[in-house]
Amino acid sequence: MSTEQVSAVADELRGMLAQVTGRPELLGAPDGVRLFGAGVGLDSLAGTLLIRQVQRRYGVDVAAEDLNLDALETLGTLAAFIAARCQGAS
Amino acid sequence: MIKCVVWDIDNTLLAGVYLESGAEPPAADRQLTGVLHQLAARGILNALASRNPPAAAAYVRQQTGADFAAVECGWESKADAIARIAAGLSLAPDAIAFVDDDMLERAEVAARLPDVLVLTPDEAAEAPDWPQFSPAVITAEARRRSQLYAERRHRQAAAAQFGRSRDDFLRQAGTRITIGPAGPGDLPRLHELSIRTHQLNSAGRPLTQADLAGLLAAPEYTVITVRLADDFGDDGLVGAAITTGNGASGGLAAPVPAVSVAVTVPLIMMSCRALGRGVLDALLAWLCRSAVADGAAELRIPCLVSERNVPMRLALATAGLRAEPASVAADGRAVFSRSLTGELPWLPDWVTVE
Repeated sequence: MSTEQVSAVADELRGMLAQVTGRPELLGAPDGVRLFGAGVGLDSLAGTLLIRQVQRRYGVDVAAEDLNLDALETLGTLAAFIAARCQGAS
Repeated sequence: MIKCVVWDIDNTLLAGVYLESGAEPPAADRQLTGVLHQLAARGILNALASRNPPAAAAYVRQQTGADFAAVECGWESKADAIARIAAGLSLAPDAIAFVDDDMLERAEVAARLPDVLVLTPDEAAEAPDWPQFSPAVITAEARRRSQLYAERRHRQAAAAQFGRSRDDFLRQAGTRITIGPAGPGDLPRLHELSIRTHQLNSAGRPLTQADLAGLLAAPEYTVITVRLADDFGDDGLVGAAITTGNGASGGLAAPVPAVSVAVTVPLIMMSCRALGRGVLDALLAWLCRSAVADGAAELRIPCLVSERNVPMRLALATAGLRAEPASVAADGRAVFSRSLTGELPWLPDWVTVE
Protein backbone atom coordinates (compact mmCIF):
# COMPACT_ATOMS: atom_id res chain seq x y z
CA MET A 1 0.00 0.00 0.00
CA SER A 2 1.32 3.43 -0.88
CA THR A 3 1.25 6.48 1.37
CA GLU A 4 -0.73 8.29 -1.37
CA GLN A 5 -3.36 5.56 -1.16
CA VAL A 6 -3.62 5.90 2.62
CA SER A 7 -3.87 9.66 2.48
CA ALA A 8 -6.51 9.49 -0.28
CA VAL A 9 -8.56 7.17 1.95
CA ALA A 10 -8.02 9.49 4.93
CA ASP A 11 -9.34 12.43 2.88
CA GLU A 12 -12.49 10.51 2.00
CA LEU A 13 -12.89 9.49 5.65
CA ARG A 14 -12.81 13.16 6.68
CA GLY A 15 -15.77 13.72 4.34
CA MET A 16 -17.66 10.78 5.87
CA LEU A 17 -16.90 11.98 9.40
CA ALA A 18 -18.18 15.46 8.64
CA GLN A 19 -21.31 13.90 7.18
CA VAL A 20 -22.15 11.42 9.97
CA THR A 21 -21.55 14.00 12.69
CA GLY A 22 -22.96 17.03 10.86
CA ARG A 23 -19.78 18.92 11.78
CA PRO A 24 -18.11 20.34 8.63
CA GLU A 25 -15.02 21.45 10.62
CA LEU A 26 -13.99 17.77 10.73
CA LEU A 27 -12.97 18.10 7.05
CA GLY A 28 -9.80 19.62 8.54
CA ALA A 29 -9.24 16.94 11.21
CA PRO A 30 -5.59 15.75 11.37
CA ASP A 31 -4.74 12.04 10.81
CA GLY A 32 -3.63 11.54 14.40
CA VAL A 33 -6.81 12.79 16.06
CA ARG A 34 -8.61 10.20 18.20
CA LEU A 35 -12.07 9.33 16.92
CA PHE A 36 -13.63 8.37 20.28
CA GLY A 37 -13.42 10.05 23.65
CA ALA A 38 -11.41 13.25 23.76
CA GLY A 39 -10.72 14.25 20.15
CA VAL A 40 -13.49 13.92 17.56
CA GLY A 41 -15.75 12.56 20.32
CA LEU A 42 -17.64 10.13 18.07
CA ASP A 43 -20.46 8.33 19.84
CA SER A 44 -21.57 4.78 19.12
CA LEU A 45 -24.32 5.99 16.77
CA ALA A 46 -22.01 8.10 14.59
CA GLY A 47 -19.37 5.34 14.82
CA THR A 48 -21.83 2.76 13.50
CA LEU A 49 -22.83 5.03 10.62
CA LEU A 50 -19.15 5.52 9.78
CA ILE A 51 -18.56 1.75 9.78
CA ARG A 52 -21.53 1.31 7.40
CA GLN A 53 -20.25 3.99 5.03
CA VAL A 54 -16.79 2.43 5.02
CA GLN A 55 -18.30 -0.94 4.16
CA ARG A 56 -20.37 0.53 1.33
CA ARG A 57 -17.48 2.55 -0.13
CA TYR A 58 -14.58 0.10 0.26
CA GLY A 59 -16.20 -3.28 0.93
CA VAL A 60 -14.21 -3.48 4.19
CA ASP A 61 -16.28 -4.66 7.16
CA VAL A 62 -14.38 -3.19 10.11
CA ALA A 63 -16.89 -4.57 12.64
CA ALA A 64 -16.45 -8.13 11.36
CA GLU A 65 -12.67 -7.99 11.00
CA ASP A 66 -11.69 -6.15 14.15
CA LEU A 67 -13.22 -7.52 17.39
CA ASN A 68 -12.02 -4.64 19.56
CA LEU A 69 -12.52 -1.99 16.86
CA ASP A 70 -8.99 -0.73 17.48
CA ALA A 71 -8.84 0.24 13.79
CA LEU A 72 -11.12 3.14 14.73
CA GLU A 73 -8.60 4.65 17.14
CA THR A 74 -7.59 7.50 14.86
CA LEU A 75 -8.38 8.65 11.35
CA GLY A 76 -4.90 7.47 10.32
CA THR A 77 -5.26 3.95 11.77
CA LEU A 78 -8.63 3.56 10.06
CA ALA A 79 -7.26 4.75 6.71
CA ALA A 80 -4.33 2.31 6.99
CA PHE A 81 -6.66 -0.55 7.95
CA ILE A 82 -8.83 0.10 4.89
CA ALA A 83 -5.93 0.65 2.47
CA ALA A 84 -4.30 -2.61 3.58
CA ARG A 85 -7.48 -4.49 2.71
CA CYS A 86 -8.29 -2.97 -0.65
CA GLN A 87 -4.91 -3.24 -2.32
CA GLY A 88 -5.26 -3.59 -6.06
CA ALA A 89 -8.94 -2.69 -5.80
CA SER A 90 -8.48 0.86 -7.03
CA MET B 1 -40.65 -7.74 16.10
CA ILE B 2 -41.74 -4.95 13.79
CA LYS B 3 -41.20 -1.52 15.37
CA CYS B 4 -42.18 0.71 12.45
CA VAL B 5 -44.51 0.32 9.46
CA VAL B 6 -43.72 2.49 6.43
CA TRP B 7 -46.85 3.15 4.37
CA ASP B 8 -47.35 4.16 0.77
CA ILE B 9 -50.16 6.71 0.23
CA ASP B 10 -51.75 6.23 -3.22
CA ASN B 11 -54.13 3.26 -3.36
CA THR B 12 -52.84 2.18 0.04
CA LEU B 13 -53.70 4.57 2.88
CA LEU B 14 -55.88 6.57 0.47
CA ALA B 15 -58.63 4.87 -1.54
CA GLY B 16 -57.32 6.39 -4.78
CA VAL B 17 -54.50 8.51 -6.18
CA TYR B 18 -53.85 11.85 -4.43
CA LEU B 19 -52.70 13.82 -7.49
CA GLU B 20 -55.26 12.41 -9.92
CA SER B 21 -58.36 13.39 -8.01
CA GLY B 22 -58.56 17.11 -8.76
CA ALA B 23 -59.81 19.41 -6.01
CA GLU B 24 -61.22 16.58 -3.90
CA PRO B 25 -58.51 14.07 -2.93
CA PRO B 26 -59.67 10.52 -2.16
CA ALA B 27 -60.78 9.51 1.34
CA ALA B 28 -58.64 7.36 3.62
CA ASP B 29 -58.93 3.58 3.37
CA ARG B 30 -61.07 2.77 6.41
CA GLN B 31 -59.67 -0.67 7.13
CA LEU B 32 -56.02 0.43 6.98
CA THR B 33 -56.80 3.54 9.04
CA GLY B 34 -58.00 1.13 11.72
CA VAL B 35 -54.74 -0.82 11.41
CA LEU B 36 -52.72 2.43 11.80
CA HIS B 37 -54.39 3.17 15.11
CA GLN B 38 -54.26 -0.43 16.32
CA LEU B 39 -50.51 -0.58 15.72
CA ALA B 40 -49.90 2.82 17.33
CA ALA B 41 -51.74 1.65 20.47
CA ARG B 42 -49.30 -1.28 20.63
CA GLY B 43 -46.31 1.05 20.49
CA ILE B 44 -45.53 0.36 16.82
CA LEU B 45 -44.59 3.48 14.85
CA ASN B 46 -46.13 4.47 11.53
CA ALA B 47 -44.26 6.35 8.79
CA LEU B 48 -44.98 7.51 5.24
CA ALA B 49 -42.99 7.01 2.03
CA SER B 50 -44.75 8.39 -0.99
CA ARG B 51 -44.11 9.74 -4.48
CA ASN B 52 -46.22 12.79 -3.76
CA PRO B 53 -45.73 16.39 -2.65
CA PRO B 54 -45.48 16.91 1.14
CA ALA B 55 -49.05 18.24 1.12
CA ALA B 56 -50.20 14.64 0.56
CA ALA B 57 -48.70 13.61 3.91
CA ALA B 58 -50.45 16.46 5.69
CA TYR B 59 -53.70 15.40 4.00
CA VAL B 60 -53.23 11.75 5.11
CA ARG B 61 -52.49 12.88 8.65
CA GLN B 62 -55.68 14.90 8.72
CA GLN B 63 -57.81 12.16 7.09
CA THR B 64 -56.58 9.30 9.30
CA GLY B 65 -55.93 11.23 12.52
CA ALA B 66 -52.74 9.19 12.89
CA ASP B 67 -49.27 10.37 13.97
CA PHE B 68 -46.37 9.59 11.66
CA ALA B 69 -42.91 9.25 13.18
CA ALA B 70 -41.22 10.02 9.85
CA VAL B 71 -42.38 11.25 6.45
CA GLU B 72 -40.53 10.85 3.15
CA CYS B 73 -42.29 12.50 0.23
CA GLY B 74 -40.42 12.75 -3.04
CA TRP B 75 -39.71 11.10 -6.32
CA GLU B 76 -36.64 9.06 -5.58
CA SER B 77 -36.51 5.36 -4.69
CA LYS B 78 -38.62 3.93 -1.86
CA ALA B 79 -35.67 1.83 -0.68
CA ASP B 80 -33.69 5.07 -0.16
CA ALA B 81 -36.67 6.64 1.62
CA ILE B 82 -36.97 3.61 3.94
CA ALA B 83 -33.23 3.61 4.63
CA ARG B 84 -33.46 7.29 5.64
CA ILE B 85 -36.47 6.58 7.87
CA ALA B 86 -34.60 3.67 9.52
CA ALA B 87 -31.51 5.82 10.10
CA GLY B 88 -33.57 8.73 11.45
CA LEU B 89 -35.34 6.45 13.94
CA SER B 90 -32.19 4.39 14.72
CA LEU B 91 -33.99 1.21 13.67
CA ALA B 92 -32.49 -1.83 11.96
CA PRO B 93 -34.11 -2.80 8.61
CA ASP B 94 -35.54 -6.03 10.09
CA ALA B 95 -37.61 -3.96 12.53
CA ILE B 96 -39.39 -2.33 9.58
CA ALA B 97 -42.38 -3.37 7.47
CA PHE B 98 -43.26 -1.66 4.19
CA VAL B 99 -46.75 -1.57 2.69
CA ASP B 100 -47.36 -0.62 -0.95
CA ASP B 101 -49.95 -1.62 -3.55
CA ASP B 102 -47.39 -1.25 -6.37
CA MET B 103 -45.64 -4.52 -7.23
CA LEU B 104 -42.56 -2.77 -8.66
CA GLU B 105 -42.06 -0.67 -5.54
CA ARG B 106 -42.36 -3.78 -3.39
CA ALA B 107 -39.88 -5.62 -5.61
CA GLU B 108 -37.35 -2.78 -5.45
CA VAL B 109 -37.51 -2.61 -1.66
CA ALA B 110 -37.36 -6.41 -1.30
CA ALA B 111 -34.27 -6.53 -3.54
CA ARG B 112 -32.38 -3.64 -1.96
CA LEU B 113 -33.45 -4.07 1.68
CA PRO B 114 -33.95 -7.83 2.03
CA ASP B 115 -34.46 -7.56 5.82
CA VAL B 116 -37.52 -5.31 5.48
CA LEU B 117 -40.87 -7.14 5.71
CA VAL B 118 -42.66 -6.19 2.45
CA LEU B 119 -46.46 -6.38 2.43
CA THR B 120 -49.39 -5.73 0.12
CA PRO B 121 -52.25 -3.62 1.55
CA ASP B 122 -54.35 -6.82 1.90
CA GLU B 123 -51.62 -8.47 3.95
CA ALA B 124 -51.23 -5.33 6.07
CA ALA B 125 -54.94 -5.45 6.90
CA GLU B 126 -54.30 -8.80 8.63
CA ALA B 127 -50.96 -7.79 10.16
CA PRO B 128 -52.33 -6.93 13.64
CA ASP B 129 -53.02 -10.67 14.06
CA TRP B 130 -49.45 -11.66 13.25
CA PRO B 131 -46.89 -12.31 15.99
CA GLN B 132 -44.37 -9.82 14.54
CA PHE B 133 -46.94 -7.07 15.20
CA SER B 134 -48.06 -8.34 18.60
CA PRO B 135 -45.76 -7.31 21.44
CA ALA B 136 -46.37 -9.46 24.52
CA VAL B 137 -46.38 -6.51 26.88
CA ILE B 138 -47.45 -2.94 26.19
CA THR B 139 -45.87 -0.58 28.68
CA ALA B 140 -46.38 3.11 29.41
CA GLU B 141 -43.25 3.77 27.35
CA ALA B 142 -44.82 1.89 24.42
CA ARG B 143 -48.09 3.80 24.50
CA ARG B 144 -46.17 7.09 24.51
CA ARG B 145 -43.80 5.94 21.78
CA SER B 146 -44.99 8.19 18.93
CA GLN B 147 -44.91 11.21 21.28
CA LEU B 148 -41.36 10.23 22.33
CA TYR B 149 -40.33 10.15 18.67
CA ALA B 150 -41.90 13.58 18.09
CA GLU B 151 -39.82 14.93 21.00
CA ARG B 152 -36.84 13.21 19.44
CA ARG B 153 -37.39 15.02 16.13
CA HIS B 154 -37.36 18.38 17.92
CA ARG B 155 -34.22 17.37 19.81
CA GLN B 156 -32.45 16.24 16.62
CA ALA B 157 -33.36 19.46 14.81
CA ALA B 158 -31.97 21.48 17.74
CA ALA B 159 -28.81 19.33 17.84
CA ALA B 160 -28.25 19.79 14.09
CA GLN B 161 -28.39 23.58 14.54
CA PHE B 162 -26.24 23.55 17.67
CA GLY B 163 -22.93 22.97 15.87
CA ARG B 164 -20.78 22.29 18.96
CA SER B 165 -19.82 18.95 20.47
CA ARG B 166 -22.33 16.31 21.51
CA ASP B 167 -21.50 16.72 25.19
CA ASP B 168 -22.04 20.48 24.98
CA PHE B 169 -25.42 19.79 23.41
CA LEU B 170 -26.36 17.22 26.07
CA ARG B 171 -25.53 19.77 28.77
CA GLN B 172 -27.39 22.56 26.99
CA ALA B 173 -30.46 20.31 26.55
CA GLY B 174 -30.64 19.70 30.30
CA THR B 175 -29.94 15.97 29.95
CA ARG B 176 -30.64 14.01 33.15
CA ILE B 177 -29.55 10.38 33.49
CA THR B 178 -30.70 8.59 36.64
CA ILE B 179 -29.13 5.29 37.68
CA GLY B 180 -30.81 3.30 40.44
CA PRO B 181 -31.88 -0.12 41.66
CA ALA B 182 -34.72 -1.86 39.81
CA GLY B 183 -37.98 -2.62 41.62
CA PRO B 184 -40.80 -5.08 40.90
CA GLY B 185 -42.75 -2.34 39.08
CA ASP B 186 -39.98 -2.16 36.48
CA LEU B 187 -40.33 -5.83 35.42
CA PRO B 188 -42.70 -5.35 32.43
CA ARG B 189 -40.51 -2.59 30.96
CA LEU B 190 -37.31 -4.59 31.60
CA HIS B 191 -38.86 -7.58 29.83
CA GLU B 192 -39.89 -5.34 26.94
CA LEU B 193 -36.36 -3.90 26.69
CA SER B 194 -34.90 -7.42 26.64
CA ILE B 195 -37.08 -8.26 23.62
CA ARG B 196 -36.84 -4.98 21.74
CA THR B 197 -33.20 -4.03 22.12
CA HIS B 198 -30.67 -5.41 19.64
CA GLN B 199 -28.20 -2.68 18.74
CA LEU B 200 -27.47 -1.96 22.39
CA ASN B 201 -27.83 -5.41 23.94
CA SER B 202 -24.83 -7.35 25.18
CA ALA B 203 -26.48 -10.74 25.80
CA GLY B 204 -28.57 -11.05 22.63
CA ARG B 205 -31.33 -13.13 24.21
CA PRO B 206 -34.68 -12.17 25.71
CA LEU B 207 -35.54 -12.58 29.41
CA THR B 208 -39.05 -13.39 30.61
CA GLN B 209 -40.62 -11.45 33.47
CA ALA B 210 -40.11 -14.57 35.60
CA ASP B 211 -36.38 -14.65 34.70
CA LEU B 212 -36.11 -11.01 35.67
CA ALA B 213 -38.08 -11.44 38.90
CA GLY B 214 -35.68 -14.27 39.78
CA LEU B 215 -32.67 -12.02 39.17
CA LEU B 216 -34.24 -9.26 41.23
CA ALA B 217 -34.74 -11.65 44.16
CA ALA B 218 -31.32 -13.34 43.91
CA PRO B 219 -28.85 -11.88 46.43
CA GLU B 220 -25.89 -12.54 44.13
CA TYR B 221 -27.29 -10.31 41.37
CA THR B 222 -28.07 -6.60 41.22
CA VAL B 223 -30.45 -5.21 38.59
CA ILE B 224 -29.83 -1.57 37.76
CA THR B 225 -32.13 0.73 35.79
CA VAL B 226 -31.27 3.79 33.77
CA ARG B 227 -33.75 6.60 33.21
CA LEU B 228 -33.32 9.45 30.75
CA ALA B 229 -34.93 12.87 30.45
CA ASP B 230 -34.09 16.31 29.11
CA ASP B 231 -35.82 19.60 28.39
CA PHE B 232 -37.35 18.12 25.22
CA GLY B 233 -39.10 15.27 27.04
CA ASP B 234 -38.96 12.34 29.42
CA ASP B 235 -37.92 9.03 27.87
CA GLY B 236 -38.53 7.06 31.07
CA LEU B 237 -36.75 3.78 31.69
CA VAL B 238 -34.37 3.40 28.72
CA GLY B 239 -31.85 0.85 29.91
CA ALA B 240 -30.68 -1.64 32.48
CA ALA B 241 -27.68 -3.63 33.59
CA ILE B 242 -27.28 -6.73 35.70
CA THR B 243 -24.14 -7.08 37.81
CA THR B 244 -22.68 -9.88 39.89
CA GLY B 245 -19.49 -10.55 41.81
CA ASN B 246 -17.72 -8.81 44.68
CA GLY B 247 -20.81 -8.98 46.85
CA ALA B 248 -22.93 -7.73 43.95
CA SER B 249 -23.98 -4.58 45.71
CA GLY B 250 -23.52 -2.88 42.35
CA GLY B 251 -22.39 0.13 44.34
CA LEU B 252 -26.00 0.69 45.34
CA ALA B 253 -25.74 -0.75 48.84
CA ALA B 254 -22.98 -0.64 51.43
CA PRO B 255 -19.81 -2.32 50.08
CA VAL B 256 -19.49 -5.95 51.03
CA PRO B 257 -16.03 -7.38 51.75
CA ALA B 258 -14.55 -8.54 48.46
CA VAL B 259 -15.05 -12.21 47.68
CA SER B 260 -13.58 -11.96 44.19
CA VAL B 261 -11.59 -9.39 42.31
CA ALA B 262 -13.93 -8.84 39.38
CA VAL B 263 -17.44 -7.48 38.88
CA THR B 264 -19.18 -9.18 35.97
CA VAL B 265 -22.04 -7.62 34.01
CA PRO B 266 -24.06 -10.46 32.43
CA LEU B 267 -26.42 -8.05 30.66
CA ILE B 268 -26.51 -4.47 29.45
CA MET B 269 -29.46 -3.39 27.36
CA MET B 270 -30.59 0.01 26.21
CA SER B 271 -33.33 1.43 24.02
CA CYS B 272 -32.16 2.72 20.63
CA ARG B 273 -33.81 6.02 21.56
CA ALA B 274 -30.86 6.54 23.91
CA LEU B 275 -28.36 6.18 21.02
CA GLY B 276 -26.36 9.33 20.49
CA ARG B 277 -27.26 10.73 23.92
CA GLY B 278 -24.31 9.46 25.89
CA VAL B 279 -26.39 7.17 28.12
CA LEU B 280 -24.52 3.91 27.51
CA ASP B 281 -21.17 5.68 27.90
CA ALA B 282 -22.38 7.13 31.21
CA LEU B 283 -23.65 3.74 32.40
CA LEU B 284 -20.30 2.10 31.60
CA ALA B 285 -18.43 4.89 33.39
CA TRP B 286 -20.66 4.41 36.42
CA LEU B 287 -20.28 0.58 36.32
CA CYS B 288 -16.50 1.06 36.51
CA ARG B 289 -16.84 3.34 39.53
CA SER B 290 -19.33 1.14 41.34
CA ALA B 291 -17.08 -1.90 40.80
CA VAL B 292 -14.17 0.07 42.28
CA ALA B 293 -16.39 0.98 45.26
CA ASP B 294 -17.05 -2.75 45.70
CA GLY B 295 -13.32 -3.40 45.84
CA ALA B 296 -13.02 -5.02 42.39
CA ALA B 297 -9.90 -4.70 40.30
CA GLU B 298 -11.52 -5.69 37.01
CA LEU B 299 -14.80 -5.12 35.16
CA ARG B 300 -15.92 -7.97 32.87
CA ILE B 301 -18.73 -7.72 30.34
CA PRO B 302 -19.55 -10.84 28.32
CA CYS B 303 -20.96 -9.78 24.98
CA LEU B 304 -22.41 -11.63 22.03
CA VAL B 305 -20.44 -10.36 19.03
CA SER B 306 -22.94 -9.89 16.20
CA GLU B 307 -23.54 -7.66 13.20
CA ARG B 308 -26.44 -6.06 15.01
CA ASN B 309 -24.87 -4.88 18.24
CA VAL B 310 -21.92 -3.02 16.75
CA PRO B 311 -22.99 0.13 18.67
CA MET B 312 -22.67 -1.88 21.91
CA ARG B 313 -19.16 -3.01 20.95
CA LEU B 314 -18.18 0.56 20.05
CA ALA B 315 -19.30 1.74 23.49
CA LEU B 316 -17.36 -1.08 25.19
CA ALA B 317 -14.22 -0.19 23.23
CA THR B 318 -14.65 3.50 24.02
CA ALA B 319 -14.92 2.67 27.73
CA GLY B 320 -11.59 0.86 27.47
CA LEU B 321 -12.84 -2.74 27.47
CA ARG B 322 -11.11 -5.27 25.24
CA ALA B 323 -11.58 -8.97 24.43
CA GLU B 324 -9.00 -11.51 23.33
CA PRO B 325 -9.85 -12.38 19.68
CA ALA B 326 -8.80 -16.01 20.29
CA SER B 327 -11.28 -16.24 23.19
CA VAL B 328 -14.43 -15.73 21.10
CA ALA B 329 -16.60 -18.78 21.74
CA ALA B 330 -18.26 -20.82 18.99
CA ASP B 331 -21.58 -19.13 19.76
CA GLY B 332 -20.00 -15.69 19.19
CA ARG B 333 -19.65 -14.73 22.85
CA ALA B 334 -16.54 -12.98 24.11
CA VAL B 335 -15.67 -11.48 27.48
CA PHE B 336 -14.68 -7.81 27.25
CA SER B 337 -12.79 -6.62 30.28
CA ARG B 338 -10.75 -3.76 31.65
CA SER B 339 -8.60 -3.10 34.66
CA LEU B 340 -10.05 -0.63 37.14
CA THR B 341 -6.74 0.92 38.06
CA GLY B 342 -5.70 4.12 36.35
CA GLU B 343 -7.98 6.57 34.60
CA LEU B 344 -11.66 5.59 34.39
CA PRO B 345 -14.01 6.74 31.61
CA TRP B 346 -15.58 10.16 32.12
CA LEU B 347 -18.80 10.28 34.15
CA PRO B 348 -20.84 13.38 33.18
CA ASP B 349 -22.11 15.54 36.04
CA TRP B 350 -25.71 15.16 34.78
CA VAL B 351 -25.76 11.56 36.02
CA THR B 352 -27.62 11.10 39.31
CA VAL B 353 -27.32 7.91 41.36
CA GLU B 354 -30.32 6.93 43.45
